[in-house]
Amino acid sequence: MRTPGWKLLVALLLLPLAPPAGAETDDWHAVVAEARGQTVYFNAWGGDLAINHYIEWATTRLHDDYAVELRHVRVSDIAESVSRIIAERSAGRDHGGSVDLMWINGENFAALKTAGLLYGPWARQLPNARYINWEGNPSTLIDGSLETQGYELPWGTAALTFFFDKARVARKPMNPADLLNWIEQHPGRFSYPQPPSFLGSAFLKQMLLALSPDKERLYAPAGADFAALSSPLWHWLDRAHKSMWRSGRLFPRSGPAQRDLLAVGELDWMLSFNPAEASRAIRQGELHNNIGALQLDAGALANSHFLAIPYNSTATAGARVVANFFASPEAQARKADERYWGDPSVLDLASLDAQERRYFDVLDTGPATLPPAEHYLAEPHASWTTLLEQAWLNRYVR
Amino acid sequence: MMSKTIIARPAVLLLFCVSALPALAGLTAAFWVGLDPAAMSRVVATPGIGLSIASSFWTGSVATVLALLLAHLAVALAVSGNWQRRLNALILPLLAMPHLAIGIGLALVLAPSGVLLRLLSPWATGFELPPDWLIVNDPAGLSLLAGLVLKETCFLVMALGAALGQVPAARLQTLSATMGYGPLKSWLATVAPALQQQIRLPLAAVFVFGISNVEMAIPLGPDLPPTFSVLLWRWFTDPDPAIHAQAYAGTLLLFVGGIAAILAANFIGGLARKLLRASAESGARRNTEWPVRRLIAAVLASGFILGLLSIVAIGLRAFSRQWRFPALLPDHSSSDIWTDVAALSASVATTTLALAAATALLGVALVLPAAERCKQSADARRQIGAWLFLPLLLPQMTFLFGVQVLLIRMRIDGTFIAVLWSHLIFALPYLWGLLAPARAAIDPRFDQVAATLGVSPAKRWLTVTAPLLARSTLLALALAVSVSVALYLPTLFAGAGRIATAASEAAAAAGSGNLRLAAAHAILLAVIPLCIFAIAYATGSLLFRHRRGVPR
Repeated sequence: MRTPGWKLLVALLLLPLAPPAGAETDDWHAVVAEARGQTVYFNAWGGDLAINHYIEWATTRLHDDYAVELRHVRVSDIAESVSRIIAERSAGRDHGGSVDLMWINGENFAALKTAGLLYGPWARQLPNARYINWEGNPSTLIDGSLETQGYELPWGTAALTFFFDKARVARKPMNPADLLNWIEQHPGRFSYPQPPSFLGSAFLKQMLLALSPDKERLYAPAGADFAALSSPLWHWLDRAHKSMWRSGRLFPRSGPAQRDLLAVGELDWMLSFNPAEASRAIRQGELHNNIGALQLDAGALANSHFLAIPYNSTATAGARVVANFFASPEAQARKADERYWGDPSVLDLASLDAQERRYFDVLDTGPATLPPAEHYLAEPHASWTTLLEQAWLNRYVR
Repeated sequence: MMSKTIIARPAVLLLFCVSALPALAGLTAAFWVGLDPAAMSRVVATPGIGLSIASSFWTGSVATVLALLLAHLAVALAVSGNWQRRLNALILPLLAMPHLAIGIGLALVLAPSGVLLRLLSPWATGFELPPDWLIVNDPAGLSLLAGLVLKETCFLVMALGAALGQVPAARLQTLSATMGYGPLKSWLATVAPALQQQIRLPLAAVFVFGISNVEMAIPLGPDLPPTFSVLLWRWFTDPDPAIHAQAYAGTLLLFVGGIAAILAANFIGGLARKLLRASAESGARRNTEWPVRRLIAAVLASGFILGLLSIVAIGLRAFSRQWRFPALLPDHSSSDIWTDVAALSASVATTTLALAAATALLGVALVLPAAERCKQSADARRQIGAWLFLPLLLPQMTFLFGVQVLLIRMRIDGTFIAVLWSHLIFALPYLWGLLAPARAAIDPRFDQVAATLGVSPAKRWLTVTAPLLARSTLLALALAVSVSVALYLPTLFAGAGRIATAASEAAAAAGSGNLRLAAAHAILLAVIPLCIFAIAYATGSLLFRHRRGVPR
């Protein structure tokens, strides 16, 4: 894992903050008892059938095992829920908020955490937190550039992957120059989701990291040198847009939109943070089976996603029980299974006992799934995201 | 001014409390929260904001003008060709279809990988891959225009049809025919201006909707930048509070823009009347009108076919997984897709139907007593109608945002009741427009005869008036259901994201560009209104198959 030294240091410094697991057992029993009969409104992106089905499975299990009623509030963008919570705060609703648990990361987490609108810290007190790969995967402790400090629980982790139609891409372009070459030889067949959508901004960061001679600089706050340091990216994009889908005058609105366009034959490429996305789509008949995958030689942008509890939730016990269930080996294995969702686990498999490991032994891997990335790139400092998005909008929205 | 006696009636007062009052309160709240010079200056500094506002007004106004023109021509052709009833039956499916469904369907028809090019490829076009044409979401907003024109033409045809009863059309036609004018010109010179006076409110509503809608602009509108209303919609759903303030300020800009546009339209309408009068007074007559008639009929027919194709396209995309160009039919279509789509829609369908049913029943229950009070005063009916219509003349986002602020203060946001209330605001004007005249049209002598027989007022209403109103009530229920099913922004603002209806799910999916998922939800949007109208008509004729003269 390649990550700037100071991040690892922070991660290690945070470790002792976690209380010993044994002392918490009694408290946890109390939490489980309090959670019985609670309804947990879980605001999570609802744009994907497989994910919705997975959450439905969890709903049944939580009802049966813990008498917790999980309600999946399907949002098109978790930002909607963030704005709701902010609106509730300004309306003085400090109890009985409309959200109990949310699927969140990056700037949405930052918005709530810096405004003090999150319940916690709670994540490291959960019984199942002991399985999480805190040390091996710093993106479980640092979200964007903000320390999570136990205010959110890692739910899944992934790396930016490029998927392509094998019939149209003869030789895998492993670096920006080769990719640009392919784009220019195949006009109208490449695109990326429109920034500032989540995946679109990720693409900008990935390309900036791949094009920058000094990556370390990107992990410190951006400054007056932003224009100079980002100029390789704009040169690359200016050229690529000329030969891209709709000549760079229109972009897919999101990752699933791009997958849709690959499925109907308008594009030869799609992007995803989930290395198993294409395999799962192939299995479900949404994509044809001649799909390949690659991660750039410079390294794949890594990204974790989390569960957080708003400050005004009245079902914090229920929310923690739900989160603990989601972090269990059984639920994490099912999530990693491409037959259901195919989102890589956040657990440290070495920490599991033989019985728990068995859940992971039966995982099925599809034809377009890459082996785990060799070379992860952590997210640049959050200030870069904001500046890149603004610069992109100023440059390409006329 | 509203006559005091009518407004004092509890039934009428209740109607106001449900509809106009919250709309005005919402507008006030929106101004209270939204007036923020700093936020306004950030709105103005947004990249592409000028283009964004321009494309809202450009698409909204051009679509309104084209739809009005086409609607007048369609009605003129139909009435003079004696197929008015057929025209009404033809537009009904497109009229009942929500904007969102037609928008998603049109995107699936017009795109380079859409149904139209698949029909022609590869045998006629030679395309093995979809061409890289910027048709849907085009910067000029042409596909958005097409969608708006398609829907609003149908709406205005209906409005014109309803106004036809108020205008002595046949007499005017005959008069000008004796002066040697063809049916088309005589219609446009004499009947159309009279009709135009009658449909000013619906036309203004069409215009405001055209400028401020997101339902059509999300699937079809431009993207870089989007129309102003879609931009506001994105700001409203942003996590950054600073951007919220921008959205609040922006809705005020939308409101002011809407008012200015209506004033400008009124002025331009005056100019158009002068031009029309000049043309009418010129005395020019055509020997043959048929080439013009053919051309207009062809335009109308192709619009209609486009509308039907988009409904078909929704079905194709919803029940397909892989659908690689240029195959016309999806590659695999297996039964588990049906179970997939059914599982996806089940809970959403329940909420959508429950909301629609509650809106329809409560709406009719609110409107009937008030209509009873106003049966003798056409003035009162018109005035109440105008007040109820007020929310349709405001950009939805502006007052709904204010309503949301009030709902949060009252702590009932995100509840079924709150969403139901917001749906009633939009269903009541249509219910009033249908039921108030229907009640007034019932011959009072039936009631008088029953009264002389000593029947109590309550029993008279149940045995005499109610059966005579049954058909209109059935239609009103169907209309309210189809209005409720189509509502997106009210559900979003009052429902706090907790109440998921077919419209909110379809809009969310279309907003993220996932047309397959959007189509799966749009199926419900398309099917519910069609079924409910079919049921209303069938029940109506079944109930009264042994009676003659029951009003339709």
